[in-house]
Amino acid sequence: MTQAIKIDNLKYNYNNDQVLFDGFNLTIDSGQWVALVGHNGSGKSTLAKLILGLIAANSGNIDVFGERLTVDTVHHVREQIGMVFQNPDNQFVGATVADDVAFGLENKQIPSVEMPRMIDEALSIVGMLDFKDREPHMLSGGQKQRVALASVLALQPKIIILDEATAMLDPDGRATIMHTLQDLKARFGHDITFVTITHDMDEAILADRVVVINDGQLILDGTPANVFSQYDVIHNNGLELPFAGELAEKLDAKPKSYLDERELIQWLSRLNK
Amino acid sequence: MNNIMIGRFVPGHSWVHRLDPRTKMMITFVYILVMLWANNWQTYAWATLFVIGLVRLTGQPFKLYWDGLKPIFWLILFTVILQLLFTPGTPVLFSIGPLRVTVPGILNAVYVMVRFVLIILMSTILTLTTPPTSIANALESLLSPLKKIGVPVAELSLMLAIALRFVPLLMDETQKIMNAQKSRGMSFSTGGPVKRAKAIIPLLIPLFVGALQRALDLANAMEVRGFKDAVQRTKYRILSYQKIDQVAFLALGGFVVIFLIIKTVIHG
Repeated sequence: MTQAIKIDNLKYNYNNDQVLFDGFNLTIDSGQWVALVGHNGSGKSTLAKLILGLIAANSGNIDVFGERLTVDTVHHVREQIGMVFQNPDNQFVGATVADDVAFGLENKQIPSVEMPRMIDEALSIVGMLDFKDREPHMLSGGQKQRVALASVLALQPKIIILDEATAMLDPDGRATIMHTLQDLKARFGHDITFVTITHDMDEAILADRVVVINDGQLILDGTPANVFSQYDVIHNNGLELPFAGELAEKLDAKPKSYLDERELIQWLSRLNK
Repeated sequence: MNNIMIGRFVPGHSWVHRLDPRTKMMITFVYILVMLWANNWQTYAWATLFVIGLVRLTGQPFKLYWDGLKPIFWLILFTVILQLLFTPGTPVLFSIGPLRVTVPGILNAVYVMVRFVLIILMSTILTLTTPPTSIANALESLLSPLKKIGVPVAELSLMLAIALRFVPLLMDETQKIMNAQKSRGMSFSTGGPVKRAKAIIPLLIPLFVGALQRALDLANAMEVRGFKDAVQRTKYRILSYQKIDQVAFLALGGFVVIFLIIKTVIHG
């Protein structure tokens, strides 16, 4: 399997002296959906910025589809990665939804005549085509993030990183974004790699693989069920399990492995038989 | 605060909305220029008529324009008072010390007020019916001859577009900070001018910090989406003059000619 992102012996100091990453390694396979979880200040967002070359590492290597990230390759590497940021307002460049999606295409020097088709296509994937001529302040937070996702999709990246993209949204907005991501995964399958950075375990559960980091260290790495069964480690690193996991932990009779909500209900109803 | 209309665009399908942004900019520019020549009430009346006609054509409620005028009310009042008190001439109506209120002074004050209002209305028509990106595009297109002498026109127009795009956002943020501080006992509307000015400081600091954070975030978002510089880009919105623009230029020409006729004939 191709490696989408390979991070090798990465070192990065915060403010010149505070060590954040000291020999960090992580490999993400192409087509995977990886949830990068950690509490605030664990270094997960910094990692995303390092991968995109928005900040420079002190030492170590980052390869994206086999291409080493350097000053010369940074623009080419960025072409393969799309990123959705946390604050819906601060990444909306255009004056209208269509203009915002166009911004990336204009940078890529796509001919003007091809743009409307590409914009419509990207917007219809995220279900925002009807809002094409709306302005950002007429949209909800969830809708703005879907536009941000469309802006990224229009550029046809191989990797999409979502950096706390749902953190500022209400539960409805959060649900629609997660739903959109699942749709995308179903549509593009292994052609697209997702990295969702979050501290919300309910989001992490949708991923193929969960990576827990804290203080620049890799703490846990495995399938959601695998990682969520390590209750103490999760809690010691300032995180909480999804509701079903937290509930299971409070029970006197505990299930042997991590169960999601439906599985837990089934398990509980079988207890008294 | 949300009433401030500077840079706020209201979508629509009126005649004015459909004009090329360059046409609208040139009309606004020529109009403001012509207003500087207005010298008697007949010219002002004609200019007022023209603006009212345009306002009607935009199909927007007059309240929107009124909201556009409100924020500069104090500026207008200040200028009017200056005109009122410091215009020399006769007959003098009454005087307090060195200050004299004269008949030409009153006339001047009224003219200055009308001129202010008309110019603001005209620019409100432009911003109300034109998306900020189109204004920036139009500016880039109109100023493109300056590229030859090394003016970074593309960069400037992108900066303008982004600045316009963030005006409503920063307005909302100002309101939020003010509310947060009012809820903790801050008062922005009592006390003398010094006390009021001091009250602004704790408002400005969080606003600036917030704006800088936004700017950093936006820069990251732009870079990630492949932004290198403002020159090597294609354009989504291509500007092209239509028949309707020819009609608009004809109307503008008509306005200017009649304006000049009124000015010379009546003045003479």
